[in-house]
Amino acid sequence: MADSAAEARIDQSLVARVLLGDDRRAFEQLVRRHQGMVRAQLCRLLHGDQAAADDLAQETFLLAWRKLDQFRSEARFSTWLHRIAYACFLQACRTKSWAARHAQDDAMEHLPEPAPVMDLQLDLARAMRHLSTAEQTVLLHCVQLGMSHDEAAYVLAMPLGTVKTHATRGKAKLKTWLSAWKQAASEETVP
Amino acid sequence: MNRNYEQEHDDDIDALLRQSFDGPVADAGFCDRVMQQLPPRRRRSTWPLAAGVLAGAVLCSLSVFTSPLWRAAWQGWLVGQWSTSALVMLSTMAAMSLLALGWTLAEADDR
Repeated sequence: MADSAAEARIDQSLVARVLLGDDRRAFEQLVRRHQGMVRAQLCRLLHGDQAAADDLAQETFLLAWRKLDQFRSEARFSTWLHRIAYACFLQACRTKSWAARHAQDDAMEHLPEPAPVMDLQLDLARAMRHLSTAEQTVLLHCVQLGMSHDEAAYVLAMPLGTVKTHATRGKAKLKTWLSAWKQAASEETVP
Repeated sequence: MNRNYEQEHDDDIDALLRQSFDGPVADAGFCDRVMQQLPPRRRRSTWPLAAGVLAGAVLCSLSVFTSPLWRAAWQGWLVGQWSTSALVMLSTMAAMSLLALGWTLAEADDR
């Protein structure tokens, strides 16, 4: 908690340096500090398309550079960046061919699988794909990216109650689908 | 007991999801590419604001100085009388100043 407050203070001082002194080095530090998580967020949203994620991440940072004077510190700088990234992702889905390519990938996913793979991570990935897009997106932000429900609501521009509902429903579905693994694990531990 | 089991199961799902997340992506030249693309920062020009303030002040003075209310207030002020016109003008100016002060404070608070 104290760490994240310190991180937020560092970000704020870097933002102030950019705004007051036109300091490109300060912005470079901001990019270095946050590029990893922004690219990871976009890569997940784009179902692993790293090249498209990098394009969108670049667009995100260029937008952040242009609109930095609109950053009001009502959220952490990282959360503000994730919000821009998510907006870029939605824009790309509306306008670019990525959505069509993704539809093709989805079609490939529905082909019969070669053999049942008994791997919990694979099953989790498959179960995640069967969640609704909103549930996947909320779980990505709340659990995997470690945001609070409030932060996820800000990033996704969703009401807080909706975020909580999607998180609860998504986890409940995963619990049901993966319950076989839980049972198997408990049977293994009981001789 | 049941609640504890549910909570434990919830934590398991959380842990599983976190495990399946690869974490931050390595830089691999990304930052340099972004910095090369960065355009020069556009400074917001101040002349539209200055021109607006000047035009507003000129129009305000023209409309106030030509009104009979202002003349009556000014004459009352010169002879040291607190006429109704003088009071109206003073209260109007005080109200406008307070509004401007409130606006400035609100803007400063946002920053």
